[in-house]
Amino acid sequence: MLQILHVSKEYSTARGVLPILDDINLTLDRGAAVAIMGPSGSGKSTLLYLLGGLEPPTSGTIMLGSENPYAMTAADLASFRNRQIGFVFQDHHLLPQCTVLENVLIPTIVAPPSKTDFAARAKSLLERVGLGARIDHRPSELSGGEKQRVALARALVTEPQLLLCDEPTGNLDQDSAGLVAELLLELHEQHQTILVVVTHSDELAARFPLRYRMLNRQLREL
Amino acid sequence: MKTRILIRRNLIWFRRTNLAVILGVAAAVAVLCGALMVGDSVRRSLSELVLGRIGRTDLVITANTLFRDQLMDDLRRRPGFAATFVDGVPMLALQGVASRDETGARAGDVQVYGVDGRFWKFHGLDIEGPSGSEALISPGLAEELGAAAGEMLAVRIELPTAIPIESLHGRRDEAGRTIRLTVREILPPSLLGEFSLQPRQGIVRAVFIPLEKLQRNIDLDLPRDGRVNIILLATQPGVTAAREVANELLRETVTLDDQGIRIREVESNSRVGEEVVAVETESAIIGGALADSIELTANRAGLQSDRILSYLANSIRVDDREVPYSLVTAVEPGQLPQLVSIQGDQRPPLVLNEWAARDLGARLGQDVTLEYYVWADEGRLSTASATFRLAGVIPITGLAADRQLAPEYPGITGAESLSDWDPPFPIDLRRVRKVDEDYWDRYRATPKAFLLLADAQPLWSTRYGALTSIRLASRSLDRLGLATELRQQIGPAQSGFTATPVRMEGAAAAKGATDFGAYFSYFSFFLVVSALLLVVLFFRLGIEQRIREIGLYLALGFQIATIRAIFLYEGALLALAGAGLGLGGAILFAGLMMLGLRTWWIGAVGTRLLRLHIEPLTLVIGGLSGVLAALVCIWWTVRSTSMASPRRQLAGQFSSQPRRGSGVTFGNRRQIRLLVALTLLLLALVLVTLAIRQTLMPVAAFFGAGTLLLVSLLILWSWWLRVDRQSVVRKGWSGLFALGIRQATTQPGRSILSMALIAAATFIIVSVESFRRTEVVPTSNPRSGTGGFLLVAESLLPLADNLNLPEGREALNLQESELPELNSLRVTRFRVRNGDDASCLNLYQPVQPRILGLPAEFIAANRFNFHSMIEPVTNPWELLNRNSTVVPIIVDANSMNYVLHRQLGEVFQITAASGQAVPVQIVATLADSLLQSELLMAESHFIRLFPREDGYRWFGLELPISAGTDPDKIAAILEDRLSDFGFDATSASRKLAAFHVVENTYLSTFQSIGSLGLLLGTIGLGAVLLRNVLERRHELALLTAIGFGSIHLTVMIIAENLLLLTGGLLTGTLSAFIAIIPALLERGSLSSLGSLGLLLLLVLATGLLASLFALRVLLRMPVLESLRSES
Repeated sequence: MLQILHVSKEYSTARGVLPILDDINLTLDRGAAVAIMGPSGSGKSTLLYLLGGLEPPTSGTIMLGSENPYAMTAADLASFRNRQIGFVFQDHHLLPQCTVLENVLIPTIVAPPSKTDFAARAKSLLERVGLGARIDHRPSELSGGEKQRVALARALVTEPQLLLCDEPTGNLDQDSAGLVAELLLELHEQHQTILVVVTHSDELAARFPLRYRMLNRQLREL
Repeated sequence: MKTRILIRRNLIWFRRTNLAVILGVAAAVAVLCGALMVGDSVRRSLSELVLGRIGRTDLVITANTLFRDQLMDDLRRRPGFAATFVDGVPMLALQGVASRDETGARAGDVQVYGVDGRFWKFHGLDIEGPSGSEALISPGLAEELGAAAGEMLAVRIELPTAIPIESLHGRRDEAGRTIRLTVREILPPSLLGEFSLQPRQGIVRAVFIPLEKLQRNIDLDLPRDGRVNIILLATQPGVTAAREVANELLRETVTLDDQGIRIREVESNSRVGEEVVAVETESAIIGGALADSIELTANRAGLQSDRILSYLANSIRVDDREVPYSLVTAVEPGQLPQLVSIQGDQRPPLVLNEWAARDLGARLGQDVTLEYYVWADEGRLSTASATFRLAGVIPITGLAADRQLAPEYPGITGAESLSDWDPPFPIDLRRVRKVDEDYWDRYRATPKAFLLLADAQPLWSTRYGALTSIRLASRSLDRLGLATELRQQIGPAQSGFTATPVRMEGAAAAKGATDFGAYFSYFSFFLVVSALLLVVLFFRLGIEQRIREIGLYLALGFQIATIRAIFLYEGALLALAGAGLGLGGAILFAGLMMLGLRTWWIGAVGTRLLRLHIEPLTLVIGGLSGVLAALVCIWWTVRSTSMASPRRQLAGQFSSQPRRGSGVTFGNRRQIRLLVALTLLLLALVLVTLAIRQTLMPVAAFFGAGTLLLVSLLILWSWWLRVDRQSVVRKGWSGLFALGIRQATTQPGRSILSMALIAAATFIIVSVESFRRTEVVPTSNPRSGTGGFLLVAESLLPLADNLNLPEGREALNLQESELPELNSLRVTRFRVRNGDDASCLNLYQPVQPRILGLPAEFIAANRFNFHSMIEPVTNPWELLNRNSTVVPIIVDANSMNYVLHRQLGEVFQITAASGQAVPVQIVATLADSLLQSELLMAESHFIRLFPREDGYRWFGLELPISAGTDPDKIAAILEDRLSDFGFDATSASRKLAAFHVVENTYLSTFQSIGSLGLLLGTIGLGAVLLRNVLERRHELALLTAIGFGSIHLTVMIIAENLLLLTGGLLTGTLSAFIAIIPALLERGSLSSLGSLGLLLLLVLATGLLASLFALRVLLRMPVLESLRSES
């Protein structure tokens, strides 16, 4: 279960304090899928990064299961992200120097010791996203949609509890976006993760049972 | 997926950036290791040079006297010799001047070696030595004289003499001898043609002549009197205490004869039933220490000792009658009962023999006046007199009939008649009467008058001694036993017998007065820093390029430490690759520097014999140091990356928010920068102040303050670049310019790095140029670097006659008709103790520096300009007159700092002529003087420490400078007239300029390092500009799309470049100017503002070239593509 309790976020800038989020509260159970919408600069991506353990809230608590990531040491927090969080960004962030398979396996480099055959899992995920024949290709040889599918496989390779997507279809054409959205929900369903997607796309949001809008630093259910 | 695969992929993928990092590390390693290799190479070259020139010699035995050739055989026969030494060889080594009559070519400072077959055999050389009038000469001498085999050579040598020339019997007129020789062969260095026992990097001027010929030419009676002055010894391998063994063997072996001491049997002694011997010396004078040893031996052996002082009186006068040229003898009380003082009569008693009393018609109680010559300090004989009371007349029997009371005086005691006398002082033979000749025929040197020793010694004692012989008497005198006892009591050290480990000292001296490795490292320090800054810059650019990747790693659960480790691992591999490449570069760099030192910068080292030596250990140290430094830089860069937030990194933003919980905000981070900058600035000023007050070594202060200033000013720039700015949107060119400058402020770290590169190069270039010495013009200003001397001169043979006095000039055959300037010429004469050159002209570390003895008139004149003194006084030279157990000395500041490596007030030891270590203290230092080669000491102290350094060998010649004054013409005439003395005069300004040439050549060497720094700076600046342009390609494309022309974009790029460039230039220049303040205060002004300005313009122009790369990329950038392109 993901719990967001009275979470606020503000940045200090050269010109003073800039509030972004104000007293956000939300609880999501395992298997939940949420789309968060809102205008640019409303703080929806900030919320996503707070949930992903990448930026601490100024106040409030975030719990994933029984774990509060921001009460952890930096090393534990990193391990938490590796084990529990999967990220898909608008910009795929694939490493150009690595092959498709290697890109999917990047998180496993720092994964805790496990009997899991990550390579097999990675290949299986790549098969699942339709790129089983492209595992030795470089990102530069893929289309935008294919890159995003690799990013999706990478996000799931460590079987995280929480899958966070920041505009996963923002850079894609309509067909590719549809395919990626479909895969995303399919894999979510299959892996029973908690899925939080930040998007401008009404089309993508419409696929989600739960939808929220970020407005005036607050989260409002649609 | 393994980390190592990821790292391998990263290294290959980012190969262009990585290559730049590798090149940066390579540059740092090449410069750092290369600088160390230059030091190694100079040291090894000097070591090889000195060790190659001494052949198989390990130890050298020298003495103050000539000793028996046979001494070597005696040593060899000693038990213990063979265990320590392989062999030894005696030889003569004298200083000389060589010339060729045909061409007039002349060479001073020539080593004249008298050798025989034993010399070549000792060194393992199978060559036929010179015979007859043949000479083998060194290549350097052959080149200087233009001499070839078969040509004639004249070699003028100093005659070794036991009798001091500054004494009555010293032969000033025959101080040297000319030997005519035929060059048989020019002996290459491999056959010891450059044999030299003194470490020196310059050419060796050596002449090898047959030992026997040289011995005959120094008036030795062969074969009985076969004498040498040096024994070379070769030690057995692995022997460590050879010097001690040699000294012990000398103690056992050296005879009284070797020490110039003889025991003469007294035939007509006055002691009935006793045997009497006289202990005398070849110098005819017994010094205080020797007298003490003789008397101690006598006391131990139960012998009666009588001290005697004989002297030559020019006349013995009573009223108007006189007896010319008579020997008089002073004896101890009791020897002659008549020699007693009368209370109330101030006149000391004197006894005449019957002959003299009769001839003078003298009556008891009458005044008897003795007239005699004494050697006056000003350098001439003067006549003095003393009046005595005739206390008695004695018959010529017993003591009064003793012909051996006077020692053997060459030219006097052996003469058949008075008219045959050939003394070294003027005598008027017209005063010699028949009765005087008759007396000589009958009594020879029998004294005509006697006086008490206590009355005579104040008149005739000199610094060499106060006795002429000591008589020892006993009823049964064991002469052999006495000789053994005396030998043991006196010991060889008293005659200066000493064994010097020349191989060991040569190797130590080869470590160098000037540590090239250190100096190159100092000046290369900024170059190394520049290279490391480039490493940081490129690595940082690489990280910035991969900032999204870092964000991704963080998002995927990589710990910061893991990411750091990956980057560090990559950095380590790059650093290792760079180090490998850099080691090759180091060899190239050092090779080029050595080539430079042999060719373009030969003025700094004075030898073409420096070779590149590659020491594996240096490669390891240099390589590892470079890798370590690069790793620290990479670690620092990676560490600074970890400050950034993952979100910003994922967005591709490099600059970071303040760390959570650190309490640091933008505002107070800037304040901290300002505080740190001002603190460092203050520290730098403290160092400069300490250097001005001379409480800190100038080199340390310069580099310390320079570094602090550079860092502090760069931090100030960092502070300034982060100032919150107003809108840049202004119309026209100023708006464009402001936009360009604004770009530099968006990446302050990058901008500071490129500024730092330019600043480091500018710092070296400006500071080095500011140290450059300007031309020296002749001046009569006594407070100048020439001391107001027009000419300075040195002579091979000591000049005892005073050139300031008419009789002195006459004695030296200097005619005013030939040189009218002689009338106004004023000569200051200095005594010289030969030794190692203490100036920058000598690359070897001086072991026993040369010493000048300064006369009182020079000290009073307060010449030259002082750099520092231990206490403020009007005339610092007077500090030299202080009497203490520690002898005060003055040295040139440059020599003290860079050659002797001493400090003002420091006490260290020199070796006196007696072999004793004497403490000396530097009480003041001269600023940029021509007296850089020596330690300067008051003549009074000099004479005490080196009593046998007779006469004067160094001269300062003063002459009013007028339009017609031609120093070279005056020098040429003086050299010609005084050629017998090996007189070598040169313009004082030229001599000072010669030191400046060395200094300026060093600076040129370091300037080249500055130029390399500038090259690195330009590369760095270009890289930053290029990166900025690439990062802004969307922005610049947009500007183009909305109507900005290429000229507008060019102005923006140039504005950015100008800010970084002028920032670096200002930082470097200001830092240099502040760091060199102590040097500027010493010199009075900057040497060459013009050339400095030109250099800065050159740096500016070179830096602007960096814009070209960026502009080229910018102008070729396709607008639409850039607008469409994604990250």
